[in-house]
Amino acid sequence: MELFLPIAHMDVNVVLIVLYGSVVGLLSGLVGVGGGFLITPLLIFTGVPPIVAVSTGAAQMAGTASGASYLHWRHGNIDFKMGLILLIGSWLGGGSGVYLAKALLHSGQFGNVVVFLYVVLLGLIGVSMLIESLRAVFFAGAAGEAGAGAAAASRSWLRTLVERLPWQLRFPASGVRMSAVGPLILGAAVGILTSLMGVGGGFIMVPVMIYVLKMPTKVVVGTSLFQLLFTTAAVSVMQAGVNHSVDPFLALILILGSVLGTKLGARLGARLPAEKLRLILALVVLAVAVKMIVTLVMPPSDMYDMTIEAH
Amino acid sequence: MARALRWLFLAVAAMLQNPSWADEPLVVVPETSEVNINTDFAGSNLKAVGAMNGPGDLIIKVVGPQQEATLSRETKLGPFWVEGDTVKVEGAPSLLFLYATAPIASLLPAAEQEKYGLLLEGVPVQIRPQLQAHAATDWRKAFFRLKERQGYYYEDDHAIRVFGDRLYIADIRLPGDLQVGDYFVETLLVKSGKVVGHTTGHFNVRLSGMERWVWIAAHDHSWLFGTFFTLLAMLLGFALNAIPYRRTV
Repeated sequence: MELFLPIAHMDVNVVLIVLYGSVVGLLSGLVGVGGGFLITPLLIFTGVPPIVAVSTGAAQMAGTASGASYLHWRHGNIDFKMGLILLIGSWLGGGSGVYLAKALLHSGQFGNVVVFLYVVLLGLIGVSMLIESLRAVFFAGAAGEAGAGAAAASRSWLRTLVERLPWQLRFPASGVRMSAVGPLILGAAVGILTSLMGVGGGFIMVPVMIYVLKMPTKVVVGTSLFQLLFTTAAVSVMQAGVNHSVDPFLALILILGSVLGTKLGARLGARLPAEKLRLILALVVLAVAVKMIVTLVMPPSDMYDMTIEAH
Repeated sequence: MARALRWLFLAVAAMLQNPSWADEPLVVVPETSEVNINTDFAGSNLKAVGAMNGPGDLIIKVVGPQQEATLSRETKLGPFWVEGDTVKVEGAPSLLFLYATAPIASLLPAAEQEKYGLLLEGVPVQIRPQLQAHAATDWRKAFFRLKERQGYYYEDDHAIRVFGDRLYIADIRLPGDLQVGDYFVETLLVKSGKVVGHTTGHFNVRLSGMERWVWIAAHDHSWLFGTFFTLLAMLLGFALNAIPYRRTV
C-alpha cells in the first residue's frame, strides 16, 4: 500500500511506516523510553531526506507526548516553574538549532552531521543500556543500584556548580532550590538536539534532573514530558516555518503506529521481565548504530550522490 | 483506458482522412494533456498515439521541465566516508526519454543526433560554481550517470509499435517522483539517415487534491501550516492516548 508523501516527495509503504511507529511505540511501552531516537534513523534508512526525517520526528513526538503529558498533569506530577524555565532554554536552543539546520542544509552538510550525531548518541545510549541491563540480568539489580550510586557521585561536582551559579530560585513542587541557569542550559542543549536530531531528549533530561538537579523522581517524568511536548511542538512549527520540512502524512501515520505500539507494549510489559526487555532495546539501539557506522565506513558504490531541489 | 485509446485511434484515423493532415509526415496525439499527482500516485503509463504517411523509422523524445540538482562527492574523513564537495547542476531537464523503432545511433549520424538533442549525455548543463574544464567534466559525467541509473534519462529502442506503416503507439512510463510542469513530446520521422518529419505535443504534470493543498500550504503559508499541523498532531495524540484512559477511569 503505497502513499505519496507531499513534502518528502517520495512514495512510502504505509504498512512499513505504521510498523516503524508501532515497533518504537512498543519498545517505549515496554521499557518506558521515548524512542524518538529510533524513528529518525529508520526513516533515513527508508530514503526519507534527513531534514524531513528530523522535522517530522519532532512533530510525531509532539503528537505522542500530548496524551501522556495530560495524564501526568492530572496526577499533579509536573513542576510548572521548573518546566517553564526548561522551556525558555529549549525554545532558545530549538530556535537556534532550526537555523543551524538551515545553514547546514545550505552548505550540504546536514546529512553528515545528523548521521554522526546519531552514531555517537545511539552508541552511548546502547552501550550504557547494555551494561545496565546485563548487570541487572546477571546480578539481580544490586550492581545496578551501585552503578547508579557511582554515577551520582561522579556527577556531584556538577551539582556543586549548579548550587554556586547566580539567580537562585525555589522550586516548591520539586522541593529544591537552585540557580535557574542550570535548567536553562539543560533546556537549550535538549532543544538543539530536538532541532538537529528530531529527538525529545528525555534520555538526557531525566538522568540530569534526578542526579544533578536532585528533583524527586515522581515529578521528573511529568516535568520532562511537559518540556518535551512544548519543545517538540515549537521545533515542529519552526521546522515547518523555516525549512518547510514537516511531512504531515508521514507524521500522522507514525503517531497512529506509535500509539498502537505503546498500548500493546504497556500490556505486554506487565507480563515480561523488565531487565530482559531493556536488554532487547539495548541490542536494537546498538544494531541501528552499527548499521549507521557500516554505511559510514564502507566505501560507497558511487562516489557521487544527487539530491533534487524541492519543487 | 480502453475507451480513451479508442477515441485516440478514431481521432488519428479522422486526421488521416483529412487531405490537409495527410500532407503532413507525422501526427501525434498524446493520450492526455494532464497528469495529476495525488496521494496514491506511484508513477503513470501514458500512451502517445500517432500516424505517419508511409514507411520510416520513428524517434519520440520526452523532455521534462528543467530542474536544479545538487551533486555531492564522497570524501574520506579518517575511516569515514562523508559528503565532501558539492555543486549545483542547472539547466538540465528533469527527465529525458528517447524512444525509437531501432537504436538511434543506427538511424542517424552523430551530427544529426546532436542537432535534435538525441544524445542522453549531450544536454547542455551549467555547473555552479564555475570550475575548470577537467573538473566540470567529472561532475557532468556523474550527473548523467546518476540520472540514467535513477531511470530519469534513458533510451528504449523497442518502445514504439508501428501498425502497417501508418499508425504507431508508444508507451511512456513516468516514474513516481515527477517534477511538476510542462513535458514536451517531440516525434521525429527518420528516413535514410535524415529527419524528414517533425511534430510536437505536450502534457502537464501537476499536483492535485490533498497533495496540492498540502504542498501550497507548507510552502506559501509555512508558519500557519506548521502551527495548525502541530496542533492537529497534538490533538490526535491526545485523543488516541488520553480519551480511552478517561473512559476507563
